[in-house]
Amino acid sequence: MNSLRTSFKRWNLTGLLFVLPAVLIVVLLLIYPILSSMYYSFTSKNLIRPHYQWVWLDNFRYVLTNPEFYRAFANSIKWTVLSIVGQLLVGFAAALALNKIPRFSGFFRTLLIIPWAFPAIVIAFTWKWIFNDVYGFLPNLLTQLGITSHNVNLFAEPSLVFGAVLFVNIWFGAPLFMVNILSALKTIPADQYEAAMMDGATPWQSFWAITIRHIRGVIGLLLVLRTIWVFNNFDLLYLMTGGGPSDLTTTLPIFAYKTGWGLKQLGVASAITIILLLFLLVVCMLYFRLLNKWEKEDR
Amino acid sequence: MNAKQWSMASLAALVLLTAGCGKEADTPEAAGSGDKEMKGEIVMWHSFTQGARNDFMKEAADAFMSKHPGVKIKIETFAWPEFYTKWTTGLQSGQVPDVSTALPNHVVEMLDADAIVPLNDVIDKIGRDRFYEAPLKEGTVDGKNYSIPLYSHAQVMWYRKDLLEKAKLPVPKTWDELYETAKALNNPPEVYGLSVPMGLGDMMATRFLNFYVRSAGEALVTKDGKANLTSKAAIDGINYWVKMYKTTSPSGSVNFKVLDQATLYYQGKTAFDFNSGFQIGGVETNSPKLLDQIDAAPIPKINANDPDRGIETSNVPMVVWKNSKHPEIAKAFVESLYEKERYIKFLHSVPAGMLPAMKDIAEDPAFLDNPTIQKFSGAVKVISSAVDQGTAIGMENGPTLESGILANQGVIEKMFQNIVLKNEPVEEAAKKAENELNQLFKLYQ
Repeated sequence: MNSLRTSFKRWNLTGLLFVLPAVLIVVLLLIYPILSSMYYSFTSKNLIRPHYQWVWLDNFRYVLTNPEFYRAFANSIKWTVLSIVGQLLVGFAAALALNKIPRFSGFFRTLLIIPWAFPAIVIAFTWKWIFNDVYGFLPNLLTQLGITSHNVNLFAEPSLVFGAVLFVNIWFGAPLFMVNILSALKTIPADQYEAAMMDGATPWQSFWAITIRHIRGVIGLLLVLRTIWVFNNFDLLYLMTGGGPSDLTTTLPIFAYKTGWGLKQLGVASAITIILLLFLLVVCMLYFRLLNKWEKEDR
Repeated sequence: MNAKQWSMASLAALVLLTAGCGKEADTPEAAGSGDKEMKGEIVMWHSFTQGARNDFMKEAADAFMSKHPGVKIKIETFAWPEFYTKWTTGLQSGQVPDVSTALPNHVVEMLDADAIVPLNDVIDKIGRDRFYEAPLKEGTVDGKNYSIPLYSHAQVMWYRKDLLEKAKLPVPKTWDELYETAKALNNPPEVYGLSVPMGLGDMMATRFLNFYVRSAGEALVTKDGKANLTSKAAIDGINYWVKMYKTTSPSGSVNFKVLDQATLYYQGKTAFDFNSGFQIGGVETNSPKLLDQIDAAPIPKINANDPDRGIETSNVPMVVWKNSKHPEIAKAFVESLYEKERYIKFLHSVPAGMLPAMKDIAEDPAFLDNPTIQKFSGAVKVISSAVDQGTAIGMENGPTLESGILANQGVIEKMFQNIVLKNEPVEEAAKKAENELNQLFKLYQ
């Protein structure tokens, strides 16, 4: 007992009190939701009914035997991988171009970052309007040019809807890659390129050995962050298509939302979010392993 | 300061903080009852987002507060879909209002969650005999009235008089006539014959199918609480709307929700539509020149000589929440909304859109003396007649949880999307959707 008191006294109590608000905020905003989701995932918790029971693994069994879950999971993977690859390629190309522009670089950079500055609701409704087959600019233009025989709504065509939402997400997310990659490009010492040129390196070799090598840490971190954001992204996709038509754009977050708030099955929705969390943890571990490897190589 | 003193001081601070967070005059004693002057604060949620109705509610609350200086009414406004999310999530944390508007299928779910209180005393004070029976029944369980109808409206068929006159076509009375007429008037992208909405997150496809099934004398929920999507009438209805979609509707209507659908008609882009009297206000705001060219007719029948059948009526009620700390104030405020002059002013905020829930008001010259109601007297007659006979979707056999599931889960909307976009055979898609609905019905038992 005495040793406990001594070790307690050894703690800086005033210091602890100072960090207490921050700790409380972390606990309330991060730990509590995760723990409550874990708890509810083992219960029959309903959104509006006051009573619920402990159901052990029933919710996980229900989710993992539901074909809709696997369809949503496949859509999530497709949505994340294609969005990230598209955003990276477009952002990288824009950053390389801006890095080479001698004049008005700041102006173009501001212009190109505009999509990132818009809230999701503005983006969703703007593109819905552009694609609208009655009033929309694009379907009317395509018909007038004779490319389509009648006005086609891209969000209503099964073969086009995924490509259309993907395009919007790439348009929205590429500026973040562009700005960060451009900043990284600016830090590459010019003398390295000169030395490589003197040694007879081809432009491709310079690009690969100098440019990529310098910025891959930034790209790696962007990939980690964007993978988490895009995989968890709910608002943009939900506002554009609501997961439809025919569930063609239903991703896991939309599936979880529909289960939790539509069907009011909070227990099942919690099980979905726990599976989502575990999956993202595995993906992040793989990413960080790759980043560590790159860091070791750079030392 | 030692550890014990620290603990005591922290505890005291916590108690003080908690006490400081409490609302003023929140004790039940503070609320007046009987002859005592009422005192306290109540929160009201309503879904009247449009200008005139929103203004009316503010005025009504101000008037109530002037009469009862000890009362404060805080009004919060949410559109219907937002309102639904708000109360279902708010229930978990007790963040629900004292009094609110509701939709009939919300009331059933609120009852299931044991979230609202009976209002028999309020109805008796206003005059039970003054109310229409059907709207009262929608919120009644074991003789207790859990909701009080505020206004009613019904779905009817809206058409464009000028387009019909130009094509020398009569107003269709049967579903086959409607298809042929819509097809004849279909001239995209200027005008579409009739848009068939199937968007997820709304109940529009369910509503359209319900029109057809009800006109055949059936319902989408059977008496024993099962989904009905595979009877002959239901399959015919599904085939009918799929055919109509392919012939007269913009392709994007597979994603249409209520506002997308209505906006097309408001802007003169569709020749036919189904809606309540709210259609008048929408056209007046968006395309005032079209106002003289619109009119309403009863929802078509399968055969012209079929009997008149009730289709879909919405009786929008008010409810008082169990969590309310001042139910007396909430009830008194609700009662004040039905004072004759104020109630008529409320109904006139969307003339012909909101019809009285009380019989005497419906015949009152003060209510009828409105330019829009007089201009659209024919349409008002059609809607009033439909109001008398119809019910909310799925409530043909009384208030049931199944009706809410039918309207809120988008199962029928997904079925239609699968048929028109994935070419799923109609019978197969209908069977699948019926099974899914029955499983959901079980989940809620």
